[in-house]
Amino acid sequence: MAAVSDFIAIVGERNTITEGSELRTYEADGLPGFRVRPAVVVLPETTEQVAACVRLARRLGMPIVPRGSGTGLSGGALPVEGCVVIGLSRMKAILEVDLPNLRMRVQPGVINLNISRHLAAAGYYYAPDPSSQSVCSIGGNVAENSGGAHCLKYGFTVNHAVGATIVTAEGEIVSIGAHGGEPDTLGYDLMGVFVGSEGLLGIVTEVVVRILRTPQATRTIFATFPTTDEAGAAVSSIISAGIVPAAIEMMDQLAIEAIVAATRVDWPLDVGAALLMDVDGVVAEVEHTADAAIAALRAAGAIEIRSPRDDGERTLMWKGRKGAFAAMGRISPNYYVQDGVIPRKEIVPVLRDIARLASEAGLRVANVFHAGDGNLHPLILYDGRIPGQEALAEHVGGEILKTCIRYGGSITGEHGVGFDKAAYMGDLFTEDDLATMQLVRCAFDRDVIFNPNKVFPTPRLCGDRPGVYHPHATELAEVAGRG
Amino acid sequence: MRIAGVEPRNLITPSGIGELAAVVRELYADAKPFAFVGGGTELELGNAPRALDTVVATTACNRVIDYAPEDQTITVEAGMTVAAVCAVLAEHHQFLAFDVPDPERTTIGGAIATNAYGGRRLRFGPIKDNIVGIAIVRPDGVIAHGGGKVVKNVAGFDIPKLMVGALGTLGAIVSATLRVHPRSESGAAVALRNLTAADVLHACAEIVNAALVPTSIVAFDDGGERYDCVVVFDGFRGGVDEQVRSMTGIAERLQFDASRPSPAELDLLKERERNARREAPWRVQFGAAPTTLAQFLTKNDMAGIGRIYYPAIGSAILTGNDMNAATIERWRRALDAGTVVVAAMPLDARGAVDAWGAPPPSWPIMRQLKTNFDPKGLCNPGRFVGGI
Repeated sequence: MAAVSDFIAIVGERNTITEGSELRTYEADGLPGFRVRPAVVVLPETTEQVAACVRLARRLGMPIVPRGSGTGLSGGALPVEGCVVIGLSRMKAILEVDLPNLRMRVQPGVINLNISRHLAAAGYYYAPDPSSQSVCSIGGNVAENSGGAHCLKYGFTVNHAVGATIVTAEGEIVSIGAHGGEPDTLGYDLMGVFVGSEGLLGIVTEVVVRILRTPQATRTIFATFPTTDEAGAAVSSIISAGIVPAAIEMMDQLAIEAIVAATRVDWPLDVGAALLMDVDGVVAEVEHTADAAIAALRAAGAIEIRSPRDDGERTLMWKGRKGAFAAMGRISPNYYVQDGVIPRKEIVPVLRDIARLASEAGLRVANVFHAGDGNLHPLILYDGRIPGQEALAEHVGGEILKTCIRYGGSITGEHGVGFDKAAYMGDLFTEDDLATMQLVRCAFDRDVIFNPNKVFPTPRLCGDRPGVYHPHATELAEVAGRG
Repeated sequence: MRIAGVEPRNLITPSGIGELAAVVRELYADAKPFAFVGGGTELELGNAPRALDTVVATTACNRVIDYAPEDQTITVEAGMTVAAVCAVLAEHHQFLAFDVPDPERTTIGGAIATNAYGGRRLRFGPIKDNIVGIAIVRPDGVIAHGGGKVVKNVAGFDIPKLMVGALGTLGAIVSATLRVHPRSESGAAVALRNLTAADVLHACAEIVNAALVPTSIVAFDDGGERYDCVVVFDGFRGGVDEQVRSMTGIAERLQFDASRPSPAELDLLKERERNARREAPWRVQFGAAPTTLAQFLTKNDMAGIGRIYYPAIGSAILTGNDMNAATIERWRRALDAGTVVVAAMPLDARGAVDAWGAPPPSWPIMRQLKTNFDPKGLCNPGRFVGGI
């Protein structure tokens, strides 16, 4: 095949995958149930190679699907028929550390956790910490605007990735955002809109991130509750009291059971829910905040409140929480991860709705999630060997999303829309909203060669403008309520 | 009213968002160039529009749409002033971390469109970190939303970020959902006096080293070449006291003269910080890596120039009466890795000075964005970077 030899000429034979089990790896990402075989996979080692691959694909009329570590849970890196997958996993160099200006420049294949590991000895770290941080890449984080437990206090990837070198749909190498430590750049905030664009606007080949000084102190608090009602109320009361913890994570009884089975953590099994929480900052502030949080937990009806005995136990507790998805294998043959957001004050009623949906479907749902910012992760457990159960699990997942929308939330807090949730975008946004996003997409990629069937519910070519003007519902009602 | 020196033919103040959209739709259909205005506190910003028929004011779109104190978010129409939003939030001991030139006049939409900030950006981030959702009226009059009402949300492109600092060239911001913060129990400040720019930067490095968490670090010129630097801490009383002690210790170690400014003195300084944004004929805003900016301020003659310096953010506002095109050009050459934006200048200087300087390498993408949003080029044409 002429195309393959052309790609080999750019990235070399060892960086080109065209067949066999190796190609199978690239047929899917972390979203199970969908597999598409790409025509070819290339693993460039330089920005110039990425640019040359994009130009070649463009000439050949091949769609391009960018890919980081392939840990995404919404099918953002799912190939399309006849595409080239451009994987960034070989570009994993740390290029520059600028401690005085709190900046670091890395290649996109650098694993998230390795940034903090690289800085640990100097007393600095990188804040966004998705649970997959030991395997996910910074380039993927930029594409997805990844979050994590500690985003409650410190913000998401978009608040920390401040500049990038990207390869555009024309195969040009362009720098966007701030590269030299300056607070702002001239013109539109292209970096702000690029982060979280799910591989639709370009391929990132270098990222400049903000780094933070490690806090003076961190205190971890673990608390158990009779049911998720009390745990949810505790979260609301902590947030409304003006306490800003670094993280508050909730696990329900099923999630605790799975985590205990998978790790050595000694959490009780006879409770309805648990909260795992970090407070950090200067020593005296941490002491005060921890005391205030403990008082709030107690007032909300906590059964037991404890702190880890040492750093080892703290690490183990967080490892348990971050390994929760994988731990589900201990209690169920299969599971479907959902990612939705609700206003934080609605945790209790939404968890009840989810339990009702699960029981109506005859399935179990485990909940382990970022309670502090209302980002739910219901894990719908099913047995793929039983005909119909997988479809049922997906149906429950969809109903949960509709519940999130009904409560004024969102269909994704950190996993992205990708392929999986494109169909729900129309429930969250109007045609005009989506058309406006297309205006942005077409400024970057007018031929729609990047990740063509993701995020948007109906494929639309650039230049297609929606027809005659029709007033927006909010306009008729004289409000623009959704913000 | 003049927009960057240009007087419009008409000023229209629609009574609500629907009416505003209808006005814009009509202007667009009639091919009449237009611009948007909020409280009018940053009318000097940017280059003179190439053409201007009508200015559309958002000030009558000034209602609270939804306030959810438990979720620490508020959705407001964009014509509300920052002070009016803060008054609503105060009832629940919350605040908005927007530092703007004149809170009584500056609107939410204006603050977003101009990417306004001050000292508290150090702790609470730039405006873009404090917006979770937005509604705009596009140049063609269509109302569109981006983001949502919840603090965490990655559905769709981040339209709110795109509107920050875009100076209304992609449409009017008509409402926004903002992240608000709980008020602190306590606050205190330490003033370090008689410092050079290098000393100020040194103090900042020591603050980072000690893992202190100041709300703001703002240095003011002392009338001569040196600076008085005010470091503010907020939080629970114990934490604030501890940080003030550490800060005093740092000052002693560095042999800097440190004191606790009185509340009256702090108010005066805050007023000075605001005045810098609204009174001088020339106002130039610098942005660069903190180390680069400190070097710039050290190496260039700053005699007679008012300076508000945010050392840890990497930003400074320089004001004066007798700058000129050559001064700006010299500063731009001296600060090649950074931005030098002329935010205000006398009318007669406008022809000779580009407010923004050379556009960044990604400008062709920006131009395409502008063309996609505003194919007829009617919305604030020519005011933005590189003639956008």
